[in-house]
Amino acid sequence: MFTLPDDQFMGLTEITILLIAAFAYILIVPGRWRGWVLLVGSIVGMYWLFPVQNIRWLEYGLATATLVITIVSWFITRPTGKRARKFTNEDRLVVVIVVLMVLAFTFAREVDFLDSLISRPPPLPSVAMALLVVGMLLVLMLRLPPRLQMTFGLLAIIGVFIVIRLPFLTTAAAAFLRQNAGQDASLAAPIDIGWLGFSYVAFRLIHTIRDRQSGLLPALSLREYLTYVLFLPAYVSGPIDRAERFLEDDRALADTRLQDPHRITVGLSRIGVGLFKKFIIADSLAVISLSATLVDQAGGAGSLWLMLYAYAFRLYFDFSGYTDIAIGLGVLFGIELPENFNRPYLKQSIAAFWQSWHMTLSNWAKSYVYSPLSRSLIKQRKLSNGQIVMVANLATMVVIGLWHGMTLPFLAWGLWHGAGLTVHKLWSDRTRKWYRGLRDTPNKQLAWEITGVLLTFHFVLLGWVWFALPDLQSALSTFSRLLGGGA
Amino acid sequence: MDESTVRQQLRDFILEDLIRDPDYDLEDDEGIVSSGLIDSFSLAQIGVFAEETFGVYIPDPDLTVAKMDTLDLMVARILRDKK
Repeated sequence: MFTLPDDQFMGLTEITILLIAAFAYILIVPGRWRGWVLLVGSIVGMYWLFPVQNIRWLEYGLATATLVITIVSWFITRPTGKRARKFTNEDRLVVVIVVLMVLAFTFAREVDFLDSLISRPPPLPSVAMALLVVGMLLVLMLRLPPRLQMTFGLLAIIGVFIVIRLPFLTTAAAAFLRQNAGQDASLAAPIDIGWLGFSYVAFRLIHTIRDRQSGLLPALSLREYLTYVLFLPAYVSGPIDRAERFLEDDRALADTRLQDPHRITVGLSRIGVGLFKKFIIADSLAVISLSATLVDQAGGAGSLWLMLYAYAFRLYFDFSGYTDIAIGLGVLFGIELPENFNRPYLKQSIAAFWQSWHMTLSNWAKSYVYSPLSRSLIKQRKLSNGQIVMVANLATMVVIGLWHGMTLPFLAWGLWHGAGLTVHKLWSDRTRKWYRGLRDTPNKQLAWEITGVLLTFHFVLLGWVWFALPDLQSALSTFSRLLGGGA
Repeated sequence: MDESTVRQQLRDFILEDLIRDPDYDLEDDEGIVSSGLIDSFSLAQIGVFAEETFGVYIPDPDLTVAKMDTLDLMVARILRDKK
């Protein structure tokens, strides 16, 4: 079972449509309108990509909720006090455009063609009523002092995340929503709520709130903020850009030479590489990759190992291929998204692996979990450095694990990597000087480097067992069978 | 506190507490994190050291390899906010 949130990839049809849109954008849109087109296009694209849900109107509701949460996050992260940024006419215009779009989508239900395009919206009066209630709640929240608004915002984002990721809470929420939509609540299941892209949106929002708290976040207009969070090529599965970096590209859009043949070649070749990695290599490997179904059909340890290797490479080619496509599309649209992979399976240590696998996620976790937690524990001076390293690594990797899904196998996968990083840190602290000395004996150094790569790769490989299988029992029995034991 | 004092105190801290090799010949523009001499945890330790010794709080997203890889970068970052 392939249970990544990153699993919510766009298909070939969607990628082709985005490619056509990119060329229309390059050829038709004047420089000064590019930012606006990216915003409107990303919003339309988000509604269009949202998968149809089991609960009536939910895809429309979730897409609209994403917009509301993002606008509220912009509001609470605006600079206040001496450096306060006044609301501009542009900000007001964006609010009007967004509200008109949300309302306009409800008319799509009256038109057969648009009905299938804009995921089944509810009737206009219900939307207007819902917007009114949300608006009133927001007015109440915005009466709080700015610091409390941000704390409240952070807790709300994490709360929503837990509800849609923790199976029993998701089921309860689904039952509530089913009841509201006049559907059978007894059929509620976690699969009922598929909030496209929320895990990535949440990371971007938390980054902006935390950076406002520490004074790092630049002042963004509402248009810039919304485009940063919802930028369509990166909306579904990342990479997780940083606001200040995105802003540089966004503000330069009017003068970016998008029609430059070199730029177009770079974008298209990156997309080509991505398509090949994802749809040819990864999809071929999928046939023999470790999964809950295939694991029962494996004859012996040999075929299980083969499935595990296939899974590891499938995961890499699938996700890094998707990232290539997102980055390539970004280049065409004038936004250079950050890299997410740097040959992760060729690294000599587990620490180096995590600096090269899903890099934007691990950098996020380093900035907002590992580093603040380590610093706070160092300052308290209650634990030894070794203990702090262990706590910080385990906590960070558990957060990354549970972000993929709040289930026991993902928890185990997080602990596995947290333990690996801790052991590596303790080992490297004790051997660093000796290892530097190896520079004088190149052959010995090469032998250690190869050993490091093989050990790291196989540690990661075995970790994927937790990741690939749906429950602890099947993961444990697979470990036993891989090592030659019985099920 | 001038630049040379900040640089010397930071160098001593890195050599004695982080690399744990006081005789190591650390260059000002040497990539300390990228070369594997110190790691992410050491950057967190440098964050606490800067706060407690120089009164400069470096936000967590700035404690990265790109922004803190050399002694030069670290000193510049600390002096930027130490006014």
